[in-house]
Amino acid sequence: MRRARTILVAASAALAVTSAAAQAQTRTPRDALVMAWNIDGILTMDPAQIGEVVTDEIVNNTCDPLIFQNVDDPARLEPGLAERWEVSEDGRTYTFHLRRGLRHPSGNPVTAQDAEWSIRRVLYLGFGNAAQYTQWGLSKEKAEEQVRAVDEHTLQVTVPEPWPPSLFLYVFTGRQGFILDRKAIEPHVGTRADGTSDYGNGWLRTNTACIGPYRLTRWTASDTVILERNANYWRGDVPLRRVIIRHVAESAAQRLQLERGDIDIARDLNAEDLAAVEANPNLKLNAALRHQLYYIGANMDHPILGNDDVRMAMRYLVDYQGLERTVMRYSGRAWNSFVPQGAFGALPPERGLIYRLDIDKAREYLARAGHANGFTVRLMHGTAFPSPDIAQHFQANAAKVGIRVEIEQMASGQLFSRMRDRNFELAFLAWSPGYPDADANAMRHVYNPDNRPEARQGMFLSWRASFYREWFNEAVLRARLIRDEEERKLLYHEIQERFMREGPFMYNFQQVRQLAMRNELREFKHHAFKVFYTTARK
Amino acid sequence: MAAGGAAVPVHGTGAARADGTARLRRVGREALRQASAVGISLFGLLAITFFIGRMLPLDPVIAVIGDDAPQSTYDMVYRELGLDRPLWEQFAIYVGKVLQGDFGLALNTSNRVADDLLRVFPATVELATVSIVIGVGLGVPFGVIAAVHRGTMIDHIVRVVGLIGYSAPNFWLGLMGLVVFYAMLGWVGGPGRVSVFYIDMIEPRTGFLLIDSLLANEPDVFWSAVDHIILPASILGYSSTAYIARMTRSFMLEQLSQEYVITARVKGLSRARVVWRHAFPNIMVQLVTVIALAYAFLLEGAVLTETVFAWPGFGRYLTLGLLAGDMNVVLACTLIVGLTFIALNLISDILYRLLDPRTR
Repeated sequence: MRRARTILVAASAALAVTSAAAQAQTRTPRDALVMAWNIDGILTMDPAQIGEVVTDEIVNNTCDPLIFQNVDDPARLEPGLAERWEVSEDGRTYTFHLRRGLRHPSGNPVTAQDAEWSIRRVLYLGFGNAAQYTQWGLSKEKAEEQVRAVDEHTLQVTVPEPWPPSLFLYVFTGRQGFILDRKAIEPHVGTRADGTSDYGNGWLRTNTACIGPYRLTRWTASDTVILERNANYWRGDVPLRRVIIRHVAESAAQRLQLERGDIDIARDLNAEDLAAVEANPNLKLNAALRHQLYYIGANMDHPILGNDDVRMAMRYLVDYQGLERTVMRYSGRAWNSFVPQGAFGALPPERGLIYRLDIDKAREYLARAGHANGFTVRLMHGTAFPSPDIAQHFQANAAKVGIRVEIEQMASGQLFSRMRDRNFELAFLAWSPGYPDADANAMRHVYNPDNRPEARQGMFLSWRASFYREWFNEAVLRARLIRDEEERKLLYHEIQERFMREGPFMYNFQQVRQLAMRNELREFKHHAFKVFYTTARK
Repeated sequence: MAAGGAAVPVHGTGAARADGTARLRRVGREALRQASAVGISLFGLLAITFFIGRMLPLDPVIAVIGDDAPQSTYDMVYRELGLDRPLWEQFAIYVGKVLQGDFGLALNTSNRVADDLLRVFPATVELATVSIVIGVGLGVPFGVIAAVHRGTMIDHIVRVVGLIGYSAPNFWLGLMGLVVFYAMLGWVGGPGRVSVFYIDMIEPRTGFLLIDSLLANEPDVFWSAVDHIILPASILGYSSTAYIARMTRSFMLEQLSQEYVITARVKGLSRARVVWRHAFPNIMVQLVTVIALAYAFLLEGAVLTETVFAWPGFGRYLTLGLLAGDMNVVLACTLIVGLTFIALNLISDILYRLLDPRTR
């Protein structure tokens, strides 16, 4: 009996000790920000090549661009590494004056030659980000004359057209506008398969070399990213010394970690877990409306889908308002136009969300198109939320009007590849514009430079969908040259209202970035385009 | 079968030397045959994986350049990856590089595949080894006990518990384990290999965190690693326990019905002695095969368990490579799986010889 009691006491003591040890470990370090996030998408740290949100966010906290976006309002531009700039009278030449006395973490001075090299390499390498420059008429062939360092602190960029500065300057706020440490990168420059220089692309896959509040000290694929604060940062030291991003793919696992206090922020929670966070007094949600749009795209080459009335019918087959209250409660706002809310030129809410679920109306349009008995069509989509949910919702409503939707789910690489080959009928996808202006999506969704299949203009969504209409092309190109803001806005409104009826894309939601965090974390800021680690405190 | 000179006893040192040389030659020939069989199997494995992989409609180029790159970049990277060449040529180039020890770059991680494997495979081996120790430590005794108490309550309990372990999805078990033992009770660490306080503290030497932390004399890190491995290893160990217990039970039942067991009992030996000293050694050979298979299965990496526990292991690495159409990753992983199975086969062959007196 006594022995049994001794064992019992020993066991409970052991239990208490292990629980206490577990409790003691559950707090994150006071001077560090710990996030759980699915970081499988990270491919490279080279700002010229980055094309997905995780890495974009990381480099935006490690590298400073020429021009900053205000932490509260992305449309407000503030001096970055360029302390001021001016535009020539003809509106074609931009002169940037760099701050003096700045040094990269390596100790090398930040120079206009660095800036020249950093911008040119984006053009030379020609990854997706080069489009941010080429759409304004900069090109790799003319880069040497278009982008020049006049002296150590002055950079000049010359564009072929007098774009409105409020529009063009955005290009220097993103990852393509970072100033990299050329001297530190040059020893690591290699060659590409065609014998040309890789401008450090190979080395920058796993390294960062630029001036910014943090620097990357470790990236272990699908495991951890660690950023350390740069001492003597020119804007003053940021409050938190370290940022640790741990790869956790499962929503439920992230939530448990957040509840226990092992992380400060959970990045990939599903609706159910977000609801639990909302109800938990120790945790809070922090949302920002991103400019990413979800849409169902139709291939205009398709004999039935090319008919405007058929697509009108389909626009009435999604319960935008119902989904916004349920599936998309935390992650999206219903929206029907290609200009996201918050961007310059966006329609007011009552004009940007004009469709609703209306089976009778859909039938009416189908009858008008001569397809009263319906038809069969294939819809492809990716695996990530909310693709399967919305695809199935659409399928169910389409069945009510006789449209048999065959769903095909596939990996995103395959999905993009099929789109670029114009090898699809309907596809559910998402798209994020590069800057908060109607022009960004107008140039990719509406304008189509050359609709011939052999033109292979895969970077234009309009080309992928074989959408080509003269009026739209002309209007989009005209709008981006209008200097009067009011006039430019009105033209975008007109383009949007027509595109909502004629366009190949049936927009349904605008994405919300939802951060679930612990109450202890304060002043964490993010907006449509950026997430700032620099303001956070505990 | 293995006749020849050795069967006839020959005296004298010269003869012994001749005999020794012959044996050596025979062993050499045997080894060569084994090695070429292994080589051919691996080559076949590679070829099949490569051609099937290339037939899948996956496009690795998009993963590299992003969705909105112009066609000229697409075409250049397409050429850079060698995708414009005929399939057989791509395969020949790949095999040529592998023979020089170059597995290429992984598109998903931007690292050399070989470096990635040195990171992810040890993580999985560590988890699989702890799991199999749990699996064997519980599964064998449970199986024996169930066989001895055949048809009784104990047998039924072992069977039902085993059935649950065998049929409940690891994904679900993992989540439930996290909810109960991590979130509610706080007995074990959460997802990941180590607590956030110790990340980046240990320089990987062997890649096994449990060993590296001890080598670095960091007991805190070691205990944190134990804290984190115990739950995923138990979940994986549970399903191997179920499999091993079931197999052990049926092997033991067969032995216990043999006449020598009855004879031993009639001679007055205790039941425990008959079971553990007479019957049990006779199932060892079969058991080794079962355990080797269970271990090999664990070494392939349990994708779902690795996902739930954010374990940076081999299964997830292979799956991500496959989804991205990254053939460098898929082929290298296939080779590792093939080699693992061959190695475990060899080891169990050796164990047979040690355990089965007839093969001596």
